[in-house]
Amino acid sequence: MIKKTDSQFNKPLYILYPGEFYATKEDCVISTVLGSCMAVCLFDVAKRIGGMGIFIVPGTIGTSGIISDAIASKGIGDIELLLGEIVKIGGDRRYLKAKIFGAGYPADSSSQMEQVMNSNIKFIYEYFTLENMTVERSDLGGEFRRRLYFFPWTGKVYRNILQNNEESSEFIKLEQEYIDSEFRQKEKFGRVILFD
Amino acid sequence: MKHILIIDDSPTIRISVEHALKSLGHAMVCAENGRDALGKIDALIAQGHDIALCVLDVNMPEMDGISFLKEFRSRDKFTPVLILTTESEDDKIKEGRSHGASGWIIKPFKPDELLSVAKRFLK
Ligand SMILES: [Mg+2]
Repeated sequence: MIKKTDSQFNKPLYILYPGEFYATKEDCVISTVLGSCMAVCLFDVAKRIGGMGIFIVPGTIGTSGIISDAIASKGIGDIELLLGEIVKIGGDRRYLKAKIFGAGYPADSSSQMEQVMNSNIKFIYEYFTLENMTVERSDLGGEFRRRLYFFPWTGKVYRNILQNNEESSEFIKLEQEYIDSEFRQKEKFGRVILFD
Repeated sequence: MKHILIIDDSPTIRISVEHALKSLGHAMVCAENGRDALGKIDALIAQGHDIALCVLDVNMPEMDGISFLKEFRSRDKFTPVLILTTESEDDKIKEGRSHGASGWIIKPFKPDELLSVAKRFLK
C-alpha cells in the first residue's frame, strides 16, 4: 500500500495492491486496479468506518459449497483479515454493508481463468449470504479491468472500466505475481500451536 | 451433557467449526462475541450442563476473545480453550498463552486438524 497526500479528492489517497487489505476511520480514499482479483469494500456509514481487501480464491470450489471446502477457506480467511482490522477500530459486522467488484477475465488472461472467475463470483455471493450481510452493489465478471475509488466514510465507490492497459501495467504485473503465488499455495492453512 | 462452545463473530466460521467437529458427537452452542458467550455459559450451567471445550475467536465486537478468556479463566481454570483467529503475531499468541489458552490455531484452518486438536483436548 502507498499513501498519496496530493490526490484530486482533497483527501489522503491509499493505493492498495493485490493481496492487501486496509481498514480505517480516516476520511480518505482507497483506490486499486482489479483484473481477476476481487475487492470487498465494507463500511458502516453511522460509525464512519470502512475498509477494503483485495484477494482471489485460487481455484474452483466444489459443488457442496464454501463450508469445509479447502480452497474456499482461503477466501474466507482473507475476508476475515479485513474484518478483524475493522473490528479492532470499533466496527461490527452486524452493521456493515458491502460492495464487491472484480473477478474479471481480461482478454489477455488464460482460458481457464473464466471458470475460476465464475467460481469466485459464486463464492462471494455465498459468503455474504452466510454472513447475512447486505451487498449494496456488485460489479463482477466481464472481460475488462476496473479502477476503484472507495470512500470509507460514506461507502461511495467510483468505478472506471479501463480500456488502456498501459496506465495500469504495474498493477497487472503485481496482480499476476499475486495470483501465481496464491495458486502455488492454494491449500495452505494457518499454523497450529499447542500450549502444553 | 458436555457441550462445545463456538465463539466467533462470523456465522460462516461458526458453521465451518460446527461442521468440522460434528463427528465428536457433542452438543454445540454458538456465541457471536465474548459477552454473548458468558451469557450462554451461565444458561448451560444453570441447566446442569458442562462445557467440554471452547473454540474462541480473538477479534470480536462487544467483548473480544482475550477479554473473554480472562473472565472465563477467573471462573474456570481447566476447561480447554482453543483460540481460532487470523492473528499470527507472536506477542498476541504469548498473551493468549499467558491468560490460559490451550492452543492457538491460525485461520484459515484445516477441518481435520481442528478435529484432531479438539480430540486431544477432550481426552
Ligand atoms: Mg472475528
